[in-house]
Amino acid sequence: MEKVRKCFSILLISILLTGCVKREVVDDIYLVEGIGFDGGEKGELTGTVMIPVFLKDKPPENLTLTGSGSVTKSILQNIQREAAFPISMGGLGVILFERKLAENGGILHLVDAFQRDPAVGTGIIIAITERPTKEIFSGHYGIRGNANHISHLIKHNIKVDDLPTTNFQRFLADFYQNGKSPYLPIIDKITDEDLRITGIAFIRYGYVVDSIEMKDAFFLKLLVDKYSNGLKRVKIEEGEAAVRNIRSKHKLKLVNRNPYEVHIEINVEGIINEFTGNKITPEIMEKLEKQFMNDIEKECMKLVNRFKEKDIDPIGIGHFVKSRTRHFDFDKWMKEEYKNLIVRVIPNVRIAESGVIQ
Amino acid sequence: MKDVIPDRKKIAPFLLFYILSTMQVGVGILGYQNFVSQFAGYDAWISVILSGLFIMGILYLIFKMLEIADGDLLDIHTYIFGRKLSKILTSIFILYYCLIVITIIRNYIEMVQVWMFPIIQVFWLALTILIMCIYIVKSGFRTIVGICFFSFLLPFVIAPVFLFTLPYADFSNMLPIMDHSIVDIIRGVKGMMFTITGFEMILFFYPFIKDPRTSRKWGYFSILATIILYLYLIVLTFAYFPPDQLVKNIWPTLTMWKIIRFPFIERFEYIGIAAWLLIILPNVCLSLWIASRLCKRIFKVSQKGSLYFIVLVCLVATSFLLTREQVTFVTDIAGQMSFYFIFVYIPFLFIATLIAKKVRNHGKGS
Amino acid sequence: MSFFKKNNSQNLSIQEVFLKSEDFKQIQFVNEKTNKPFTLTYFSTLIDEKIFQENILSYLQNREFHTFEDIKKILPIQEVELIDDNKKLEEKLLNGDILLTFEAFKDEVLSIPCKKEYTRSMSVPEVEFSVVGPKEAFVESINQNINLIRKRLPIKELIIKEYEVGKLSKTRVAVLHIEGLTNEEDVKTIRQRIENIDFDHLNDSSYIEQIIADNTNSPFPQFLDTERPDRVTSILAQGKIAVLVDGSPHALIAPTTLVEFFGAFEDYFLNWMISSFFRLLRLFAVTFSILVTPMYVAVLTYHYEIIPQDLIGILVASRRQIPFPPILEVLILETTIELLREAGARLPTKVGQTIGIVGGIVIGTASVEAGLTSNVLLIFIALAALASFTTPVYKIGNTIRLMRFPFIILADIWGLLGIAIAFCVLLTHLLRLTSLGRPYLEPIYPLRISDFKDSIIRLPFYKQSKRPLYSRTNNVNRFSSNEAQKKKDIDE
Repeated sequence: MEKVRKCFSILLISILLTGCVKREVVDDIYLVEGIGFDGGEKGELTGTVMIPVFLKDKPPENLTLTGSGSVTKSILQNIQREAAFPISMGGLGVILFERKLAENGGILHLVDAFQRDPAVGTGIIIAITERPTKEIFSGHYGIRGNANHISHLIKHNIKVDDLPTTNFQRFLADFYQNGKSPYLPIIDKITDEDLRITGIAFIRYGYVVDSIEMKDAFFLKLLVDKYSNGLKRVKIEEGEAAVRNIRSKHKLKLVNRNPYEVHIEINVEGIINEFTGNKITPEIMEKLEKQFMNDIEKECMKLVNRFKEKDIDPIGIGHFVKSRTRHFDFDKWMKEEYKNLIVRVIPNVRIAESGVIQ
Repeated sequence: MKDVIPDRKKIAPFLLFYILSTMQVGVGILGYQNFVSQFAGYDAWISVILSGLFIMGILYLIFKMLEIADGDLLDIHTYIFGRKLSKILTSIFILYYCLIVITIIRNYIEMVQVWMFPIIQVFWLALTILIMCIYIVKSGFRTIVGICFFSFLLPFVIAPVFLFTLPYADFSNMLPIMDHSIVDIIRGVKGMMFTITGFEMILFFYPFIKDPRTSRKWGYFSILATIILYLYLIVLTFAYFPPDQLVKNIWPTLTMWKIIRFPFIERFEYIGIAAWLLIILPNVCLSLWIASRLCKRIFKVSQKGSLYFIVLVCLVATSFLLTREQVTFVTDIAGQMSFYFIFVYIPFLFIATLIAKKVRNHGKGS
Repeated sequence: MSFFKKNNSQNLSIQEVFLKSEDFKQIQFVNEKTNKPFTLTYFSTLIDEKIFQENILSYLQNREFHTFEDIKKILPIQEVELIDDNKKLEEKLLNGDILLTFEAFKDEVLSIPCKKEYTRSMSVPEVEFSVVGPKEAFVESINQNINLIRKRLPIKELIIKEYEVGKLSKTRVAVLHIEGLTNEEDVKTIRQRIENIDFDHLNDSSYIEQIIADNTNSPFPQFLDTERPDRVTSILAQGKIAVLVDGSPHALIAPTTLVEFFGAFEDYFLNWMISSFFRLLRLFAVTFSILVTPMYVAVLTYHYEIIPQDLIGILVASRRQIPFPPILEVLILETTIELLREAGARLPTKVGQTIGIVGGIVIGTASVEAGLTSNVLLIFIALAALASFTTPVYKIGNTIRLMRFPFIILADIWGLLGIAIAFCVLLTHLLRLTSLGRPYLEPIYPLRISDFKDSIIRLPFYKQSKRPLYSRTNNVNRFSSNEAQKKKDIDE
């Protein structure tokens, strides 16, 4: 009898005691799905969190809360004061930074909080916004909540279009990698229901130093991503063709040292989706291939020189050279050798198909 | 002095494979990348291979010693030093294995505290784990081996999951190869130590194996399997993290899990950490079993009683380790002790055994 | 007239006890030919009236007899026997024999077997019904059951040894094995254990199972019970032992392993690919059934990060109005399902069906509408309950349902870690279990790959030329595997 009583009391206590662990019942918390940082005065930032409120049989409502502070956690604490439920970061999917803030104040110290938090995943999306994030979050995009929409927008553009792979892990890996610089997408709000990716920003030591538009993103993707696909228009005198790039690879080759010379071989395999001219003959195909190769070489060289000028290295040439050199000295590379670097882009295009008609 | 084990309590030789493999995979595998690459940098994968070779050599020495003395470590000591001194020497190992238990449990709890439940108290979780271990150890050596078997399956089932990090992998991180000196690479072997220890426990349960000579090849296979696993993991880790990011991460293996997504499971690391309980369980249980069995053989107390006492001691000691620094300090001590035990003491013991054998043969001859 | 040997006080008192029952009859008859009286003693409720009237009484009354030999000649019944032992007399009387006392026999009494056995006629197996294959099932009469077994194993090596167990019930227990196939140690162990049973009243084979099991403190059954004679004979042919109990339509089989409980006998009647798939499906169903509700509790209470983005909306929306935390919700629903099951089991069929519909549909829908439980959880619980009923053996289904509760409670205390702890404890328990000394988890641990051919999957018959290793038989080969698997080249 004693034993039974003991067991029963232990059982009862254990259910009530719950092992002294913090409960976070999923419907009693505010699940933060997106957070945005705007610049303010004297180092005080404004943070906006996006919380979806799930209702039965309806798309979720978007609730935004704002707070101010100097570091991420104090901003969150500030926001907590006006929140009815505890704020929880586990569902975070999107982090946005206003461009002004990223250019002047830098984003590194803000990113640190998310790196340290075990609840935040590394597959989340980071992006730069042209206008304040508060405005971006106040729209109504998509049927599953704003943050969800933003992260889907970016993810599927990586898969099917010209945006190079980008997420938190990619950003951190590029940042920590000696000889490589990170980049982030830029999004902007067009209307209250429309959001668009407008460009790609390049980061140096946490500050945004440069950006390109999406029309040039195709070439960036060829240079930066391991495998790439996207759509590009190629113009020859017979007409304009839309070439869909099914597969492309780039390979770096170290040709010379002192000064360093690197050749970037780009292999593209594409199909023609659209052609404004008449029939596509083998000669026209060849012409298109040649023109495409010229385009690639020209634009890629433009990008490379631009990177050298701004002292950033998203392609990772520095890392590549290090991997081919013993006892590589990064300081020397950063100070002089990168500037003196000679780069040649060697494209190779093969157009395989042209659709079901000629 | 020699313990005769009834045949039905013995295990089949091929089970040695599972025991040694599980012993070598514990908490260390979650954070060993930093320890190894501290000196050897991203050439540390060579250190991993080297440590495997060293350990195979040590295992060979161990098997030879056990065959000569025909028993466990206590019998080896008795063979060389005689009864009294052997008792004193072997008692040190009771403390050593208590330390191992404390280190493993505390490291696991710390991991749970950081990644899952920040508020959880060390005492309650340690108590639960230790009570579970009492249940397992009380059921006998064969049950512990059963747990070893299931715990062996788990890392090899989870291993393919790491392939999901391949889209982010950059294998050129490890180029150029051999950018570090041989000395550095060998220093990296030292960093592997605490992770790779565990196989020396065969010194304590050798009498429990049926037909021990055939179990030898399984011992070597198990080291091969674990080294392949560690190598696989370290190569993937080095490809995933650039060096500066790796240094920042305390548990690189867990951080790698953050990026893995399945259709039904958004974040794999929670499941991984919970499953890791099954992986550390045989390590703790076998250490407890060894410690209590040594108590029984040296001090002639019942194994059950000494088990309860040891568990109490470990529980109290674990609850005192509260900060990260204390945990790292204790882990370091444990690592150092394992290193000296495996690489210094065992070769010494081997030579002593050979000498003792010669002496005895001479004695017999004359 | 006393029919006992010596007319002393002890015997008189025994007779007095007998006479207290109304159905105890002692009638004197007169033989018409010799005009000598004889007394017949019997229990009127135990004897077969028809046989008594036609085959015994008429012969005894109308034919002449003077000696034992005469009676043997005139009676058309075989096992007439002369008895002079009191104890045996009691036994025979209580077994439905008619005792004939005759002057000429002096101290001896003749017993004539005339038992009437009321037993259920053979029906279709209820628990282990199979769509294809034989549909014979055991009944409560041990003689009939043994008949069903012997006709399927018409070999002299099928040895049946009987015991009488239980002080009050004196139940007949039969231990069957095939000589030369079954391990001698096992047979000895089972026989020893049955001989050592000290119990008063045994009703069913499950009493025996619980008394002689290796480990009574475990919810997992250590003997397989079945009501199909074909299953028993098939398992006997694998080298195991069967125990039949009089009065029980279930036979016990030992030794057994955990994976055997997930194989229905119907698997052998279907194609091996189909039956392998079904076995794996059952295994998955059981795992799902144990884990789904604890996972729900753990994930919703502590680890919402695991839920994929798209599902989280559905889950949170479904839980909007619920006033309880997930653990209470789950416990309420689980208890409701168990109550429904218990109530359905107690009620007679007609009422039971109504309750099932009322309980299932009305209570379920109503509680969701009222906002007491979420519809997502209701689906999970229903699926889990359904999955737990897929086990072919009834006993292990109950175990599975019971197993769920510790998992749920531990999931509430420590989330996923709690589930891991519960799983480890369960695993240790299974590792400790033995069935007749054999590890319960064979062939998974200790790993015996050759035994996998008939455990979680079922390989075709030509691959099953060897008996399972864990039954440790003396003769491992079932049939010659070379003949079964001749290899041919293309178009040969």
